[in-house]
Parts: sequence; C-alpha cells; structure tokens
Amino acid sequence: MVSALTHTHKREAQLAVTLGALAMKNPLTVASGTFAAGREYAELWRETLKQGAIEQQEFSQEILDTKDKPLSLLGAVTTKGVSLKPWPGNPGVRVAETASGLLNSIGLQNPGVEAFCSGDLLWLASQEVPVIVNVSGHAANEYHAVIARLEQESTPSAYELNISCPNVDCGNMSFGTNPRDAERVTRVCREATVRPLIVKLTPNVTDITEIARACEAGGADALSLINTVAGMAIDVRGRKPVFDRVVAGLSGPAIKPIALYAVHRVSGAVSLPLIGMGGIATAEDVVEFLLAGATAVAVGTQNFRDPLAIPRLLKDLKVWCHTQGVTDIHELIGGLR
Amino acid sequence: MAPFLEAVVVRKNDEIAPDISCVLLEAPRVAQCLEPGQFVHLLLPTFDAHILRRPFSVFATDAAGGLIEIVYQRLGEGTRFLAELQRGASLDLIGPLGQGWRAGANTRNALLVAGGIGIAPLNMLAAQLLTSARVCLITGAQSAERIVSLRLPSSVASATTKTGESRLTVITTTDDGSTGIKGLVTDVTGELLAQQDFDYLATCGPEPMQRIVAAHALAAGVTCEVSLERRMACGIGACLSCAVLTRDGTRRACVDGPVFNAEEVLW
Repeated sequence: MVSALTHTHKREAQLAVTLGALAMKNPLTVASGTFAAGREYAELWRETLKQGAIEQQEFSQEILDTKDKPLSLLGAVTTKGVSLKPWPGNPGVRVAETASGLLNSIGLQNPGVEAFCSGDLLWLASQEVPVIVNVSGHAANEYHAVIARLEQESTPSAYELNISCPNVDCGNMSFGTNPRDAERVTRVCREATVRPLIVKLTPNVTDITEIARACEAGGADALSLINTVAGMAIDVRGRKPVFDRVVAGLSGPAIKPIALYAVHRVSGAVSLPLIGMGGIATAEDVVEFLLAGATAVAVGTQNFRDPLAIPRLLKDLKVWCHTQGVTDIHELIGGLR
Repeated sequence: MAPFLEAVVVRKNDEIAPDISCVLLEAPRVAQCLEPGQFVHLLLPTFDAHILRRPFSVFATDAAGGLIEIVYQRLGEGTRFLAELQRGASLDLIGPLGQGWRAGANTRNALLVAGGIGIAPLNMLAAQLLTSARVCLITGAQSAERIVSLRLPSSVASATTKTGESRLTVITTTDDGSTGIKGLVTDVTGELLAQQDFDYLATCGPEPMQRIVAAHALAAGVTCEVSLERRMACGIGACLSCAVLTRDGTRRACVDGPVFNAEEVLW
C-alpha cells in the first residue's frame, strides 16, 4: 500500500518490513498491554491535534495523513493479552516506579476472547491497521482454543503468544522458561492457524537462544523479545513487598541494554525475523534495535510518559534516516559493522 | 470531552501551609473544559529517571484567564520536585481526565467531607453547587495551619438563601483542637447527617476516612460519592494499573473514576 506520505515527503526512506506473511508499512508496533487496543490513544492524538494544545510539531502531519484513522500510522497494533475466559487481574498495587523503570503486576486482566471479538476487535476492524492479537493461557489447549475462536474473525493479521508474563501463577512464563514446553505450545498453536505466529520470549532464563530455537522448531514465524524482567519492590515502612505476588515485571529504559543484548544473541541463533522491545523511547533506540537484528520494534512504557510517542518516533525515525542517508530501513536491520 | 496533551507554563508556585503548596498553571485549553472532580496527569520536566507522570486533582479553574490551580501535599519525590518549579517553567499535562462528581442540578442541600488534602477536588464542586444549593463543608486536618480554605468566586461566596442566610456552612475539625472542633471529620459526619436533611454527600481524603463517611451516608440513606486515589501509569484507561474493585467488577480509577458512587465500591 502506498501511503499519502510517500507523496508529501519525496525523499523519505522506504520503511516497510515483513514478519513472515505480516506486512507492516513501517517497523513500529506497540508492546502488548501498554496500549490496550489503541482506542484511548487514537482519541487522544485526534483531540490533541484538534485543540492545537501543543506547539505545532512536525509529527502532526503523521497523524493528519492517516485521515481520521490515527492508528494506521503504526506498522501494526499489538493488543492487550486475550485469554479464553475473562481474567480478573491481580489484587493490590499494580504498578510501582523504579529508577528509569516501571514494575507492573497487572495480571493480564482481560474480558476473555468472546468479549474481545465483539468489542475491541470489532472496533479495530475499521481502523485500517494490521492487528497482532496477543494470546495468553494457563495451558497449551487454552492458547489453542483462543486462536481457534479468533480464526473465525477476519481482523487478526497475526498472533503473538505470550509465554513470558511473570504476573500470572499458572502457565505463561512457565512455558517460556522451558524449551520443551515452549516448542510444544508453539506447535499446538501452529496447528490452529496459518496466520503469522509470533512467540514472545522472556529474558528470565539462563539461555534465551535455547528457547528461541525451540520456538523456531515448533513452527513460529517470528519472535518478539523481551517481555518484562522479573523484579520486586519493598515497602520499607511496612517491611513487606509492594506487590501481593511479590514478583513484578520491570520495563522501561532501565531494561534497554538487556533487551538489546537478547535481540543481538537471538538474531544470531535463529533465522526468524524479530520484534525488538524493551525501553524504547527515542528514534535512536529504534535504530539500535534494528542494528542488533530486529526487523520491527515495539514501544511500551514510553507510551505512558508520552502518549504521543508513536507519531513522534515515526517522524524522528524518518528524519534520522534522511539525515543519515538511509534510503531503505533494511540497510539497518542486522546492520552492525 | 476526550483528553488531550497540552503544553503548560508555571505562573506561580507557593507554599500555602506546612508541606502543602499551590501551583498555578497557564493551561488555557484544559481550563475551559475541566469539570469538578476531574484530574490532570503532569509530566515534570528534567525528572527523567522518573518515567511516569503524576496525577493531580484540580482545585480551581479560571476559564477566562486560562489558568488551573493545583493544591498538593509534598509527600514523595514527585511532589517535592514539583514544589521546586519556578514561574516560567514549561511542562505538559494530559487532561481533562476521569469521571468527576455527578452531583446534578437537583441537589438542594449537600454535605462535603474533606480529610486533609482531600479538599483539593471538593473546592470546584463547592463552587458549582453553591450556585443553586446549600453546602455544608466539614474539613479536617492535624492542626489549624494545615487547614486549606475554600477559595470561591466572589459571586458564589456571598450567595444567600431566601431568608438571607449564607448558603455555605464550614465546620472545621483538627486533631489537636487548635481550631474548630477537636477530633476527626468522621466524628462530626454522623451527627450532622442525623440533624439535617442532606440529599447528597461527596467526600475525599484518606481511604479509611472515606469508607467511614460513606458508611454514615449510606446508613442515613444519602447518595454518596467518593474520590479514590490509585497508582497510575497511562491515566487514559489503557494500562489497567489503577484498579478499583466494585460491585460491577474491576474498574479503572482514571476513567471510570476517580469519583465513584460509594455503594458500588468494594472497600
């Protein structure tokens, strides 16, 4: 698809990438759980432009070019995790700030796949953007059942298997820390769909390349990494953990070096395309992940700090490519010298 | 009104009581549309290792002057940092956010109960209600110097009933008795509800206090709204950090609240 941008900015770099059969017009997506299904952000972008409430920034054009489908400026939207039945999420405190980071223990609160199909997914169908549905489960057959239900819908462009969330007790991260289980859940889901299957990896393992190879063997089309780093916080006055489950997931700029190294190692270990994520806040961060071997990138925690992060990063990435003489984003992917 | 991002400038930032400050922001667009009980999500400049915004109730707005006023207690690093900002400092905010008070135009006699800095979201509500209703405010703090007074437009402050009485009554409580009644706002609430015929109660303050006030209101059969505080990341309803357990399931303090009907809340 040729966007209006190509006509308005003549010497723009070619940004389109593919992850298996998933075509993205640029390498930007969002990290699951930080963006819901995008509706709140789309409305905020639209209203901010309408109000003219920030200095007329160049990235306004990125939003205007989408012709009232603001999310279509993304390469893809990645949804909040969806499970077979509704999940209530975790009790108690759910977020705590740390130095350059954020700990969360949301617990994958979601209304279940049925409500998702008639709610967020239906809305996304009209937004003219590829949709990666993030799938969660307590057991391999639950992941399979969620995908089987989503297969009845035309909107999902790809699935991302969350086998890496530290915030639920049963399933999830336990699949992502054991190569045999990772391969099995990937294979079970592979049987349910021909749509692109992305598996999201946890950094909380001895050797992430081992899990990556297992997912490749199980039939994954792409990998996304990293999910949050397991951590905790302590309330010193009460002398007790801040989070009811003790463990929480660390995200934000604090984990960027960890994520970058994981992407670098995994890109050398498998032949699958990668979505890199972990602490991306600037266009240069995006370029770092591409150079490390990612084909696409996801922006997560930065959306909380700057709800206009996505249009801002897209514009900055174009400017960076232009000033560096990059004509095609593929020059950067795995382009470490 | 969908929330938006607005670049704002500090006009004034002064200490008004021990550990309590008031910042006046030039926010011409949010000042037009923010309703009583709603909040804004501030990004503090050069506070970069602290990656989250900070949510604040709005104490007053001046639509004509394009100003909003935030009264805040210096409790943590964010508020201490905010207190350092000088006139002319630039920052940005997301607003207007959240579900505000739903008092409604039918309210005739309202009781507002503020615990400490909980006065912050009640000031705008008092101003709104006083245009047509009687308002009784119970406001409490540790000591006289920590009581934050209402600041109302002069037309509203002087409003009287048909019999010439002021529409506004203020009852002050302090822990040390240095002004008003010695005791807690919760000590006074039940008594007052028994004496007078209120048709609406709004409260904000420490959550245990709000819970007691709400119990008094419900026992008296008075509609009661509470304003709850939660740790928050996005502020716009996407991240599900600020969960509030209600009869209606888990709700979000940032968009379904911060104001909730007390009957709905599972404390």
